[in-house]
Order: sequence, then structure tokens, then C-alpha cells
Amino acid sequence: MVNIMSRIILCIDMDAFFASVEQKANPRLRGKAIGVIGSGARTVITTASYEARKFGVKTGMNIWEAKKACPHLILVIANNARYTHTCKGLEEIYSRFTPDVEIYSIDEAFLDVTATHHLFGGPEEIGRSIKRSIKEAFGINCTVGIAPNILLAKLVSDIAKPDGLRWIKPEDVEGLMEDLPVKELWGIGAKITERLAVLGIRTCGELGRAPSSLLRSKFGIYGETLKAMGKGICSRHVQAKPEDARSIGHSMTLPRDIRERKEIEAYLFKLSEMVGRRARKHGYMGKTIVLVIRYADFETFSRQSMLLDFTNDTHDVYEGAITLLNGIHLKDKIRLLGVSLSTLIHDPHQLPLIEEERKRKAVLRAMDYVNDRYGEFKLTWGSYIAREREAGVISPSWKPSGVKSVHLK
Amino acid sequence: MKLSISKDEIQEKLSNIQNIVEKRNTMPILSHFLLEAGKKGTHIVATDLQIAIKEPLAAKVQSEGKLCIPARKLFEIVREAEGDITIESEDETWIKVSFGKSRFRLACLPSGEFPAWPGVESAEEIRFGIDALSEMIEKTMYAAGETDTRYTLNGLLFHIKPGDGHITVVGTDGHRLALLQQGMEAKVTDEKKVIVPRKAAAELRRFFGGSESVSAIIGKNHLLFKIGDVEFLVRLIEGSYPNYEQVVPPSNEKKVVVSREDFLRTLRRVSIMSRERSNAVRVDIAGSSLAVSSSNPDIGEARDEIGVEYIGEDISAGFNARYLMDALGAMTSEKVIFALQDPLSPTLLTEEGKEEYKCVVMPMRI
Repeated sequence: MVNIMSRIILCIDMDAFFASVEQKANPRLRGKAIGVIGSGARTVITTASYEARKFGVKTGMNIWEAKKACPHLILVIANNARYTHTCKGLEEIYSRFTPDVEIYSIDEAFLDVTATHHLFGGPEEIGRSIKRSIKEAFGINCTVGIAPNILLAKLVSDIAKPDGLRWIKPEDVEGLMEDLPVKELWGIGAKITERLAVLGIRTCGELGRAPSSLLRSKFGIYGETLKAMGKGICSRHVQAKPEDARSIGHSMTLPRDIRERKEIEAYLFKLSEMVGRRARKHGYMGKTIVLVIRYADFETFSRQSMLLDFTNDTHDVYEGAITLLNGIHLKDKIRLLGVSLSTLIHDPHQLPLIEEERKRKAVLRAMDYVNDRYGEFKLTWGSYIAREREAGVISPSWKPSGVKSVHLK
Repeated sequence: MKLSISKDEIQEKLSNIQNIVEKRNTMPILSHFLLEAGKKGTHIVATDLQIAIKEPLAAKVQSEGKLCIPARKLFEIVREAEGDITIESEDETWIKVSFGKSRFRLACLPSGEFPAWPGVESAEEIRFGIDALSEMIEKTMYAAGETDTRYTLNGLLFHIKPGDGHITVVGTDGHRLALLQQGMEAKVTDEKKVIVPRKAAAELRRFFGGSESVSAIIGKNHLLFKIGDVEFLVRLIEGSYPNYEQVVPPSNEKKVVVSREDFLRTLRRVSIMSRERSNAVRVDIAGSSLAVSSSNPDIGEARDEIGVEYIGEDISAGFNARYLMDALGAMTSEKVIFALQDPLSPTLLTEEGKEEYKCVVMPMRI
């Protein structure tokens, strides 16, 4: 059994990732206040450059708010291909230093270098080498947090931002945690912060000393985890191998609120194709179809139904979503639509016996092949009338491998 | 209405209809059976609107009448009864059931509410031996779909071609197919293709004991089987059945002769380690050996090998072991012929020396 306190974990967090990539790609944007946005009419700031952050521009602000905070802000429409390309390149760089790499999101990664750091001159030196390699390859900055576990590595990378590097050794953990507000911890959001405040717990030191019985009574089994987090203990390891997916889904905020049946159908088809394609790509089939609808007033609900058989065929997913839609009496315009496939199994790749179905499967394979090669929706169905691409910005949860659900903002 | 009847007789007749009568309460009348007591004879009629059964009941009728009786409740009462049972109607909605000193009152529905027995119009009649029909159902039913959206697959196709005196029965779920050809006595002028629901085929088997032949009367929408005094009416599945003749590979060149038992045992063993649900195994045929292997990244691997008679190029293909095992299990010959073409084309399993029974299994992509 390896002592978890003796591990050396790196959290590598890109600084203002989308903005940095854009500034690198376009020299005229360098040193300027920029905000990366989607192409839709109702997009928000996804990432602001550090120059813009000085003026108070934050992720999630709408354009009007951002322009008010920083009138000279330059808005840049996101280029998803550029970010995914960079992310894949980053993964390649990490793999030069250790095989234990978990790409946590498009701009964050955890590396377990316990077994390899001595080859590169120790924890800090390996961190510096990675920073250097990234700078050389992509011209962008990152912050490296080094700690005995991923919770603390993430914490110190947040503290050391931007363009920083900091190592917290086991003996320094207690001192660091003592006066640290609980909300700084990864995984503790506003709700839990509030519930802890009711118990008089504001700092990690207080959380670590709080009686187990109290935390258990308020948070159930999660109470134990919280207490451990307060002490800076985290038992989650770097997951180098992606976990099996539990659902595959896509959702999108529409460029404007819609009510027209034809329009809803077109978006559902697009989402179904994205879901079906992702399932096929990663070798999954699912049996449950979930339809998510958000009305203009943000009321959100979902409906689900079980299909008769497992599928990853775009048309089956679409039919399922339409059947669910038929069962809903729409009382308002729709702001967001989502489709997902769950109750997943690994696609056994059973070939169909009946000629028409073999053809249908072959068509899907051929289309996937073309789209893999030339880009999504390059080849699509005639029934899906090519409409203006309303590209969203890629979700931060995007990963170069695995099938994590993605929300197109 | 008043009649008396032996416990064994009514228990057997009621047990025959328990799978037909409605268990959920969607249409209350369908959870009832119709009892028709007449001087000339007494009958039980039950239906789920897909299947209707009319079977005789040997009863002593004191006064005639008909009534709809809750099938499940009366069955439960009868099972607990001893000796002869007397059933007497009070009016259109109540009956009294009595035996020994036991008395039951059971709420019923008027006979007028029971669905009418559909007539089978302008029909042609075919006769089968019970054994032949039984074999046709047993050997094809396993391959039929159960809850397929392509609803015609949830039935067995009975294909009768004029002139050649044969009937072909087919079952398929879209991944594998089983087909059996049998001789029959019939005067059929037109080609006929009827699809019998899987459930009906399964229920029909209950009535095979005690009779030697069955006559089937084929109507436009219904098929009526007459087995002795029992009438078994099936509403046929409408729609077109896939072209099964196109699916059966006519000339797979790589023919492997293998012991049926050995192949079955090997598949059973190796599939322990294959992924749940898919039952995926890999079959490698090289020289005179057939190897079956499986691997599941989460559990482990397995491999087994048996000797076969084979002359030809090496070939490998993936299969759902369940499909091969079902087919082998339905066969009876000592040796079977496993005929392959290439890893992505349909494979054919037949009994050595027999052409009538064919099982087609589509491979998995490996």
C-alpha cells in the first residue's frame, strides 16, 4: 500500500485558456482585454484575458455587462477546433513526463509524477519543465500546483495563478488549511458553504476539527468526506483511464426562444445526431432517452422513456425524443433543449441479418467516417435542412478521450 | 345456469387459459372467461383479443346459461377445492360456487359483454401431424423477437407455397434466423404467408397432448387451429415479413463439420468470460481445429479448442455465443455443419445429412 501522503501530484491549469490561445493565434490581440464568446445571439463571456479581468470582466457575464465593465473589450468568437487541437497537444506533452495523466477538463490536467519526478530533477523541476514545454509548443502560460493529492494540487494552482508554480509539502498542509475559507476548496460550492456557515464552520481548519457526528447528521456519508477535505485529505486518485460513461448527452441554449414545432424538431435532430454519433464513436448503446426542456422563464424539466432495444442509431434517438416531445404540452417558448441516452452498454457490434438494416448501419458508418475526417455535420441527412450553424463554445468539460456529456453554451 | 363438474377437469381447463386472460386491469372483461353451459355441451372461451381459445368442459348441466367469470379468482377457488364443484348463477352478475360445506359468491359480468368470436372467412384447411407442428414451433421460436419495434419479427412466419406440398416456418430477431421445412397435407391454390404471434405459438403447445393431428384454417386476418375439440384462434400479425430467402446464404464455402455436443460445451464454457449481454466470443478455424475465445477487460479471458473436419483457408469471426448455443440446442444430430463465407457475412448451421432445418447467425464485428 502506497502512503497517499507521499504522492506527488501536479495540477496543471491553463491561464485564461481560450483567451490565451486566441492571443497566441492573433498577435494583434496580445496584451489586450479580450473576451471569448460563442457565435449565437445570446452568448456569454466564456473566458476573459487577464487584461480584461483587471476591469472586472468575468466568465458568465453577458456582452452588455462585459462591455459596461470594460468598454474597450475585444470580443472574439470561439474557435473550438483550435482549443481541442491545443488540448490534444498538451496531453502529448504531459505523457512525456508520466503515463498517469488525467485530462480533467479542456484546460486542467492532473499528473501523478510520484514515480517519475526524480528523472526530471524533482517535483518543482518537473513542473518547470512542463511549463517550459507548453510555452515553447503553444506560447501560452499555465500554473502548476504540486501537492500530495489532487485536492491540494488544485488548491495551490488556484492560489498560485497566473503563470505560477507552487509546491505544498505534507508538513505545510496544516498551516495552509487553518485559515483558508472552505469555499476555496474544490468541490465545495455556494450551497455547502452556506450550510457549513450555519454550523459555524467557515475555515478549513474548523471543518477538519468539526465532530464527525455533526457532519454526518447534516451531510450524511458526504460529511466524512468533507471533514477529510478540511484536513487536506483526498483519497481520489489520478484517473488515467476514463471511467465508463453512464450517459451520453448534448444540450444547447438556442439562439432565440422558439415554439415552432418544425424548429424544435430540427434542433432535436441535430442533438440526436450528436448523441448517436458520440455513442457510436465510443462504442456505446443506450436504452433510455431523456429529453430536457428549459422554458424562456428558466423553468427546466426532463422526460424520459425506455426504448424496446439498445441503440446508437441517430434515427432511433430522434424518434425517442419526438415521442417524448409529443407527450408534453408546451406552455411557453423554449430556451434550451437537451437530448441524452442512458442505460448504456458496450456496443457488441452485432451485425444485422436483414439487408435493409445492414445498409442502414453501413450508411451510418460511412457518414461517421466522413465526419471524422472532414468535421462534424459535413455530411448529414437530407431531412435535416442545413440551417445556419449556431456554434456554441466548447464546454470546459470537453476531453480528448472519453464520452463526457457536453453542454454547448 | 347450474352445473356440476369434477375438480380435476375444471382445474386443468382453467389452467390452460391463465396466460391468455388479462392480468392487469386495463379491460376488466378480458380478465374473465365466458362459460357457456348447454345441454349439448359446455365450453370455456377466453381471449386477449390476439388469441381466443374455446375448449370443452365435461360438466353435468342441470340448467343452461352463459356468464363471464373472473378467471383468476375461480382458478384460485378451484385449486383449494375438494370433490365435485357446483356452479350456479344467481342472476347475470353473481354466481355461487360450492363444494362440500364451502360456499363462495363471486361477482361476474353478463355474457353479452364478452367479445364476439370472430368468424374465419373463406378459408383453406391444412392438416399437420401434432409432432410436425410441435417441431416447427420448437425449432424456430427461440430465434423470433419478443419486443421488437419491427413487430412482424415478434411472430413466426408460416409460408405455404402451392404445389410443392411443403410448409416453411421461420423465426428471426434480425440477428439470427431459424427455418424449418416440413411436408403437409393440403389443397392450397395460392401462396400463403401468415405471421403467428410468438405468444400464440407458445400457448398453442399446451394443447398438443392427447391428439394426433391439427387442422389449421387460414383466413384473411385469422388462423384457426383445431386440435380435437379445442379451437385456438389467432389474430395474425399484419405487415410484411423480411425476405428470409435472401438472408439464408446459398453457398457458404468454408464448411466445418463439428460435433454438436462438443461445440455446445465449448461455447458454454468460454462465454463465462465474455461481456455480459453481448456474449461475444471469437471463433478461429485453422486446419482441423476450432478455437473459441473470449475476453472481458474487467474480468479476464478464456479459450478452448476442439477438433473439426475442415479443409480450406483459415477464418476468424466474432459471434454472440448465445445465438450459436440456441441453434445447436435446437438441433438433434450428432454432427453439425457450420458454414462460413467471410467474417462479416451470415453463417449457416445445419444438421449433418439434413437440409430441412437451417439456422443462420450473423457475426459480430471484432
